[in-house]
Amino acid sequence: MDTLASLLHMSPAVAWMVVKIVIVFSAVMILASVWTWVERRGSAMIQDRIGPNRAAIFGRIRIIGLQQLLADGIKFFFKEDLAPTDANKALFWLAPFLAFVPALMGFAVIPFGRSFTSGGHVYHLSVLDPGNGMGMLYPLAIGGLAVYGVLVAAWSSNNKWAILGGMRSSAAMVSYEIGMSLSVVALFMTTGGYDPSEIIAAQGHLPWHWNVVPHFLGFIVFFTCMFAETNRLPFDFAEGESEIVAGFNTEYGSMKFSLLALAEYAHLMTASALIATLYFGGWQVPFVANPTVALSITSFVLKLVFFAWVFVWIRWTLPRFRYDQLMHLGWKVMLPLSMVNLVFHAWRMSQGH
Amino acid sequence: MFLAFALITLLGALGMLLQKNIIVAGLFMVAAFFGIAGLFVLLANPVAAALQLIVYSGAIMVLVLFVIMMLSSHEEEAAEVGHPIQRWLSVLLALALAAGGVTLVLASKGVRQLAERGAAMPPAVTLQGVGAALFEGHVLGFEVAGLMLLAAMVGAVALTKRNL
Repeated sequence: MDTLASLLHMSPAVAWMVVKIVIVFSAVMILASVWTWVERRGSAMIQDRIGPNRAAIFGRIRIIGLQQLLADGIKFFFKEDLAPTDANKALFWLAPFLAFVPALMGFAVIPFGRSFTSGGHVYHLSVLDPGNGMGMLYPLAIGGLAVYGVLVAAWSSNNKWAILGGMRSSAAMVSYEIGMSLSVVALFMTTGGYDPSEIIAAQGHLPWHWNVVPHFLGFIVFFTCMFAETNRLPFDFAEGESEIVAGFNTEYGSMKFSLLALAEYAHLMTASALIATLYFGGWQVPFVANPTVALSITSFVLKLVFFAWVFVWIRWTLPRFRYDQLMHLGWKVMLPLSMVNLVFHAWRMSQGH
Repeated sequence: MFLAFALITLLGALGMLLQKNIIVAGLFMVAAFFGIAGLFVLLANPVAAALQLIVYSGAIMVLVLFVIMMLSSHEEEAAEVGHPIQRWLSVLLALALAAGGVTLVLASKGVRQLAERGAAMPPAVTLQGVGAALFEGHVLGFEVAGLMLLAAMVGAVALTKRNL
């Protein structure tokens, strides 16, 4: 790393930062685009179909249809870029970026492997080093901004279905954020810190000490709220294609639509990373007290991919909620559950556990 | 960095004032909030920055935009009877407020210390620090605020729900 930095006339810290940003964002981007394919293949598997498996390079080499991504990308690039006549053009263009940027930014604080020392420097495997003072508040804040992508896309298209989708999504987002935050607050309390690296370190390497066991209620709430946050089925009220055409992205086509879809999957990756970090020990490897760096990264990626798959799995298993059921679940089930979780842990800590 | 965030804040605020379309004005306000959060980070207070984003941009503005979208008109309506005096009065009051704020800041203890000792970056505020300060120095204020919020909540429910 030092030689590389000196070759590029940068300080090692800056070089490491650049390397981390490139690795994290390209990994999330690649995973997100692969997941558009996994979603279709997964849904096909669950519904006893085959799914996209025909795309091939030169009509010959098909790796179980993975080139579908390339084909889709190329097709999206060459499609005509339409904007509705009465749309607010500036916002219509801005919306995909507003959706995409927060979805990627949320990942910045999550440690994807254990820190290591090399040549007198400590290297942390997260874009923002631990001890930045933002800690877990950062993904919550960025998650709050993510709704603007949907809202702006919905409003600027000047389409009543789109506006309906945007409104439903913003209401759902705000209601579920409270339950989610409360379940995370309970984690802060038992950990005694709010930095993701502290939360991971406090969980240790034994699976029954991971937060999912003592905070089982909190985990249920957080997990459910993540579905609402990422606008995934059974809570995808922004889209709701059986009710409001295609919701907020009705008027979107070509690369702009592709960006909105990618934003959804990038958000999904961030959400799975958060679940893995907060409740499943992050990069901790089960039963290995001091894993090597590569092993810890592998463990984290495996957890992330598993939860990303669970998101797909649930989408094709559960039907969509009705809107009043969503509000009922959010306010009358999730919020009290997370309250109970919080008060229970406060009581337990007051008893000296 | 400071200039970038200050510009975002100022341009957001200006855009909010000058924009006729209420939704676009609301989005400008979000930009201004984002700029303020950036300024908080530069002032070594990441907790305030995060809370600014979570509470103001993430919840309050989303709800405000939600309500505006629910109403049909998204354009600002022209006043039926013009009151030019209102405009001048508001400019005067805003100027007075700005002047008062600036004099207060310049006369404060922090600025004097800054002049004496120079600008050293204070240690970043942590969530633990905020909690301890709330519950050690300001318990009464904290509890009163909680009670008032509860009263507001009960009042809102009582006003909107006709048959409880």
